[in-house]
Amino acid sequence: MKQLAQFAMIRALFAMLTLVIVSLIVFTLMELVPGDCAERYLAFKNTQGSGISVQDIENERIRLGLDKPFAQRWVFWIVNAFQGEFGNSCILRVDIAQLLGTKFWLSLGVCLASLALAYTIAIPVGIISAASRSAMMNNSLKFISYLGLAMPNFLLALLIMLFSTVYFGDTLTGLFSKEYRDAPWSFDKFIDLLKHAWLPIFILGWSATAFALQTVRALMSDEIGKLYVTAAAARGVSGRKLLWRYPARHALGPIVNSLGFDLNRVFNELPIVALILTLTDAGALLIESLARSNDQQLAGAIIFLLTASIVALNFFTDLLLSVLDPRIRKSIIR
Amino acid sequence: MSATSEQTAETLRDQKAREAYFTASQRQLVWARFKKQRAAMTAATVLIVLIISGILAPFLSPYDPTIAGRNKDYMNGAPNVPMFCDKNGCSFRPFLHTIERERSIKTNFRWVETINEDKRRYVQFLVEGSEYKLFGFIPAKTHLFGISDGYIHLFGTDATGKDIFSRTLHAIWTSLQVGSIGVFIAFVLALIIGGVSGYYGGWIDSVLQMVTDAVRTVPAIPLFMAIAAFIPQEWSAEMRFFFISLILGLIGWPTLARRVRTHLLTERNQEYVLAAQLCGASSGHIIRRHLLPSFTSYIIVDLVISFPYMVLSETALSFIGLGLKDPVNSLGVMLQNVTSADVLLNYQWYFIPVIFFITLVMAFVFVGDGLRDAADPYSDASK
Repeated sequence: MKQLAQFAMIRALFAMLTLVIVSLIVFTLMELVPGDCAERYLAFKNTQGSGISVQDIENERIRLGLDKPFAQRWVFWIVNAFQGEFGNSCILRVDIAQLLGTKFWLSLGVCLASLALAYTIAIPVGIISAASRSAMMNNSLKFISYLGLAMPNFLLALLIMLFSTVYFGDTLTGLFSKEYRDAPWSFDKFIDLLKHAWLPIFILGWSATAFALQTVRALMSDEIGKLYVTAAAARGVSGRKLLWRYPARHALGPIVNSLGFDLNRVFNELPIVALILTLTDAGALLIESLARSNDQQLAGAIIFLLTASIVALNFFTDLLLSVLDPRIRKSIIR
Repeated sequence: MSATSEQTAETLRDQKAREAYFTASQRQLVWARFKKQRAAMTAATVLIVLIISGILAPFLSPYDPTIAGRNKDYMNGAPNVPMFCDKNGCSFRPFLHTIERERSIKTNFRWVETINEDKRRYVQFLVEGSEYKLFGFIPAKTHLFGISDGYIHLFGTDATGKDIFSRTLHAIWTSLQVGSIGVFIAFVLALIIGGVSGYYGGWIDSVLQMVTDAVRTVPAIPLFMAIAAFIPQEWSAEMRFFFISLILGLIGWPTLARRVRTHLLTERNQEYVLAAQLCGASSGHIIRRHLLPSFTSYIIVDLVISFPYMVLSETALSFIGLGLKDPVNSLGVMLQNVTSADVLLNYQWYFIPVIFFITLVMAFVFVGDGLRDAADPYSDASK
């Protein structure tokens, strides 16, 4: 138990450190965007008819604390970010934490759900296909999973939407029906969410499944040829019992370990799918904040949050693995 | 008598085959194993055809893919399929019928196309057309095919009347270029960072791994978007092009760097390295003659595998509208054109480039997969 706690501490420390490095990268990128928040805000004011001068920009900079050195602002930003405070958006002039709030949790939920979907399909199918000797089945599985990789998922989204518009008369866009969009959370709203969320979950899960299937299969076929499996078979264990008790347990370790990076991949596809399905979640907000207005404050906050959730997932999978596999605990603490 | 001579001939042949196997170089072995995989060989053929058609795009395509080569009388036009026979008989030379477009009071001021089945336009080969530079420097104006009168559009035309066939061929080339530059930059970075980290080990390795892991956790496309937003609107298409390739390279290195490091870490403790060191070889000699050859095949395979991801990223970026933009023909730009409902319902030929895109990515993935199996010396043993 003590060993486990020690392991958790070390891992948490590593996760924090990773987040600090990431925040440095993100913050530097935000700084590199030409123009800063003060200029942007006053340029906006200018379009409203009130004249501005260089002095106004300077005053605004001081008000926003933009005149302080880079390192100081970074520390300020990261300390606030860890507390869930990201300041105000440059363009929208609203508190980012409030703006993102539920949107971020919704998109995270959709992404995690699609990951769950991917692995519920990929693990059994991958294990079965690795165990089977039929070339036909293996080749077709290979083809399908590569197609999942190569077929752009926005195309899939488009086709499904077209189909549903033509046959059901429903465009399937958005995450909520009109009447629930601004309503407080209730059971009905949740049901409504489920009715809409299956499509993005399915589309995001589509390529994730293809990828997961490939990984599961490769890991399983590596394990299945090993001597301990042969030994178990020689002892008379066979069929499903043999597969699940011996090679599968070993093969699933690396998969649990790579869940964080799978989440990363799903996040990559989120903005594109969100754009097509006109979901107003964090992904679509990101596109808006970047493509239309160069809102670095908002974009930085979103990237930081996405990365933080990946790091958090990595931390939890590490913990999970160490509970399952004592060797992993030992490898960190020497 | 004859039986024994046959037998000796057979053993001789057998011996020769075995000798060839044992003396074969690494490359020959990989090729021999690669040849055995039917799927990978097919994919390789498709890939080579696609690459060649990309390189020869200006020659193979009948028209200029930019606005200069547009057919202003045939916008959003359906594909023309050349035929050999019609009601007036057959011909060896494929031909098209003449299309007459009319807009008047009679047609309620909408364009109405009538096909005149009696007039034929013949497809001609090696015709003179718009000027271009083959391989970027040989000026030429011969195109593989054209038509005697008017235009031929094998894949139809887009909203401005540009020939989709010509655009697709040029787009393949652009996407391949972006991918190659991206892979090259990622490769150089990965080799340096992974190499330093793997060769020195110790605390340098720990710090570099930390940074690599941090870069790896940042979701790439949102990050691409953040960087791509820097691109000022007034940049020319070429500037954008190189910038996008640069970004792809700068973000794509961590996976490769990790592999290089892992290879180096395991290889440098091998007995053969120790043997070379005991023989008095310098570290430069060991790296060049022993370590590098031990994993070049893996690196090549990794490069091929990471290629489709570069193409996919370029597509995703261009698709969102932050990557390459319309005057440039890249597969992402072509894909972006298919997203409107109008296209889905009325102009389905816009989807033809999508097929090329999927084929290209699939071909790369299959070749990469085949190469990986072929480069793995244990792949034979397991079967």
